[in-house]
Amino acid sequence: MTPDEADALAGEYVLGTLSARERDAFERALARDAALAAVVAAWELRLAPLALATPDVTPDPSLWARITAALPGVDDGGRIADATIADRPVVDLQDWHRLRRALDRWRAAAITAGAIAAGLTVAIALQSVVKPTRAPEQYVAVVNRGGNEPAMIVRVDLTSRTVTLRPVAAEAPAGQSLELWYIGPSQQPKSLGVLTGDTKRLPIPAVFNGSDEVVARSTFAITVEPQGGSPAGTPTGPVIYSGQLLRE
Amino acid sequence: VRTLDDQVLASLLAGTAAGQRGAFRQLYELTAPKLLGVVMRMRHDRATAEDIIQDVFLRVWRNASQFRPDAGPAMSWIVSIARNRAIDVLRQRVPESLGSDASGGERIESIPGSQDAAGQWIDAESLRHCLGGIEPAHRECLVLAYCEGWSRDELGQRFGRPANTIKTWLHRGLASLRSCLDGT
Repeated sequence: MTPDEADALAGEYVLGTLSARERDAFERALARDAALAAVVAAWELRLAPLALATPDVTPDPSLWARITAALPGVDDGGRIADATIADRPVVDLQDWHRLRRALDRWRAAAITAGAIAAGLTVAIALQSVVKPTRAPEQYVAVVNRGGNEPAMIVRVDLTSRTVTLRPVAAEAPAGQSLELWYIGPSQQPKSLGVLTGDTKRLPIPAVFNGSDEVVARSTFAITVEPQGGSPAGTPTGPVIYSGQLLRE
Repeated sequence: VRTLDDQVLASLLAGTAAGQRGAFRQLYELTAPKLLGVVMRMRHDRATAEDIIQDVFLRVWRNASQFRPDAGPAMSWIVSIARNRAIDVLRQRVPESLGSDASGGERIESIPGSQDAAGQWIDAESLRHCLGGIEPAHRECLVLAYCEGWSRDELGQRFGRPANTIKTWLHRGLASLRSCLDGT
């Protein structure tokens, strides 16, 4: 097969015009030939905008239930210590879309790196310098690990003076607890308590009485601690998730 | 530069690969409506299309760890799985009457602009430009095949040509498209 023939065949495979028999034969070749697979992937990318232009169709609500019913059991290889947290149906969609829009605005401004005091050297996954256009009332931090799925979303509402902690997919190692810390400009971590699977609302820490600049420099981190939380009142275990507070 | 949407989907795929059902559910909610739209446009009725989507998500759950973020956007990866399943089902069945009334030209117009595209790998503007530059009959064949799953035989009936001629048209259309896209 010449390169041009391979390209035409791969293109037709992606278009879907090969007959069932040709398709089977092509897929067998594909499984053995990484170069051919790359040609297919290139066609998929070239043509994808045509598919993405298709209008959405809302699935029947029962479809998700059918999918979960057909899933194999939750992996018990230790990656998910608490299935009830892992299975939690995460952020509601309205929140999610708002968050995405907000993150889109911040994306361009992003990127600072830094170490946080008190022995917590963490990679900050989401950081940003925000130019305020109005007096902000709400702040949000997506606490995550190395760009992976958010573990928790922290929302600070200066109007109602509350902090809302919404766990998304935090994973606690068996027999230990996850503890959330607030790290303000003083760099002295302050415990906001041990994570449970539930959304929690707390009164606002006193430090949020500070200026916008203070709030904008706040970071949240989650550490692994002995069951029930750090006995010392300061973090003792490794930081597994972190995120910086952003103006919403 | 990747768009945030792609980062979100890639993160959710990573979570899915780690067995996190929360991530998997979010992935479903963000992508299933588009996938169902894609599969139904390929002339599947809703019941069949939802069966296909169910199968697609079981494959995504099983194979999420095979997704390579450096090879392309997450959405393109998932769309390819869905289209492949939709085509497999189409090719297993007897071709039915040709019901499409939309022309390939209109579909090209509906390609979203680059600001809506899923990252720099997918340049919708270039695709629109390059599709516009190829022989109209060849373009129509490409678009009807890709978007609606038309077979060579079905295209042959529409254009009054043997399936072999359609095959030649498809190959020429693809070659023109590739040289135009790779040259831009």
